[in-house]
Amino acid sequence: MPEGELKGILKRGYGLIFYENWPVWLSGIILGLLSVLCFAWARPWGVAGGLKNWGDWIFYALGVYNKAPEPFFQSTNSLLTLGLLWGAFGASLMSKEFAIRFAPKWELLKGCVGGIIMGVGSAMAGGCNVGGFFSATAALSLSGIIMMMGLFLGAYLGLRYLYWELEHISTGQGGAGSASGGKAVQPYLGALVLLGAIVFAYLYAKEALTRQGVLLLFGVAFGITIQRARFCFVRGFRDIFMTTEAEIPKGITFATIIAILGFAILKWAGLRGEEVYIPQATWFGALVGGIIFGFGMVIAGGCGSGSVWRAGEGQVKLMIAVLFFCLSTSLTENWINNSEQLTKLMGSAVFLPDYLGYFWTVVLLCIFFLLYLILSVWNERTEKFLVQP
Amino acid sequence: MLDDIKPDQTLDARGLSCPMPILKTKKAIEKMKSGEILEILGTDPGTKNDLPSFAKKGGHEFLGYKDDQGFTRFYIRVK
Repeated sequence: MPEGELKGILKRGYGLIFYENWPVWLSGIILGLLSVLCFAWARPWGVAGGLKNWGDWIFYALGVYNKAPEPFFQSTNSLLTLGLLWGAFGASLMSKEFAIRFAPKWELLKGCVGGIIMGVGSAMAGGCNVGGFFSATAALSLSGIIMMMGLFLGAYLGLRYLYWELEHISTGQGGAGSASGGKAVQPYLGALVLLGAIVFAYLYAKEALTRQGVLLLFGVAFGITIQRARFCFVRGFRDIFMTTEAEIPKGITFATIIAILGFAILKWAGLRGEEVYIPQATWFGALVGGIIFGFGMVIAGGCGSGSVWRAGEGQVKLMIAVLFFCLSTSLTENWINNSEQLTKLMGSAVFLPDYLGYFWTVVLLCIFFLLYLILSVWNERTEKFLVQP
Repeated sequence: MLDDIKPDQTLDARGLSCPMPILKTKKAIEKMKSGEILEILGTDPGTKNDLPSFAKKGGHEFLGYKDDQGFTRFYIRVK
């Protein structure tokens, strides 16, 4: 019976997308392609910029700032991050994974402190794991690689702290539960939420804001991809020391190499400005900001993107991390921008092709990420970098 | 099958998110004897991927999980 078959196909498709978790390597490839398309459409993918816009608005509403920030519903930074939250929320409903998950008080405090630390680090490095490391590296900025070194060191220190905490601070046993309810209707709500994003983009197009509306959809696509694979950038730097698993490094390598190739084409061909997404952070801002950010993300249990998508699936600790990230990155970035000395201290913009040419930049960056992958897989077998408590 | 398991120890990791459930499991396992069974209660959806691969990597046997009201019970037999 054809009707029954169609139903079967739809059911299998739904199960494949929203029941099983996507393989991390596949999600890495999709993230790489999406980020190239997003840049070709309008601009590179970022997360912390949106959080800063939200923080700016909170302080403006409180009367701390006198100048109104860029409109929340028009800023491309804000729309990309809103889309990420939106997509993760929709995807977690579709897969019946949404629940308001409470956390013990100590964990909430760690979310708050981790968020504050990350906000400072990302303001210094010119972005979070996405904008400061991933998109900056793809944009052929030296600061991306320098931030990566800082992230390793920061994640290592963060893990050491967590080991110390396990021995010395009694946080009490769990106890905090979760409120999910309505599991059966979640997929229908999820479909409504995701359809809502399309309606939103349509309404934007009617107001001649097509660029912004589609960027929101890009954010949603990033959110779905990242939530369904539980793609966590933190693990790219922390797992090397903690579990030695190489799954996320695989995903990061695929995503980054694809993005490097795509961004290089767009910039070389003159379709996009060479200066785009080259933070003025080489080397101090990227290195020290990376260390600070890396420490904060391990404490919070999520980076910029990681905190936002986990907030989208209802984790209260990460909602708090996002809120304090917004506040602290807004304060720190405005402070740096208003001080000539601090801006100078963070460093300058280094676009690698200015020194190496496009060809060697791309070749060396690809070799660099393949080495990262090979080292990660080797470490998975040998556990050479494993840090014991 | 999972209903018949009598855990030797239970770790309540409800409300904790990545990486705390894994780190606490690691610590609990270190204090247990070979062949004993650890039950872990968790609410983080990531744990459903993380615990099996953690157990596999450490050579422990992951016995499975079952959903309870608002949380999940995981079972690991210590190496």
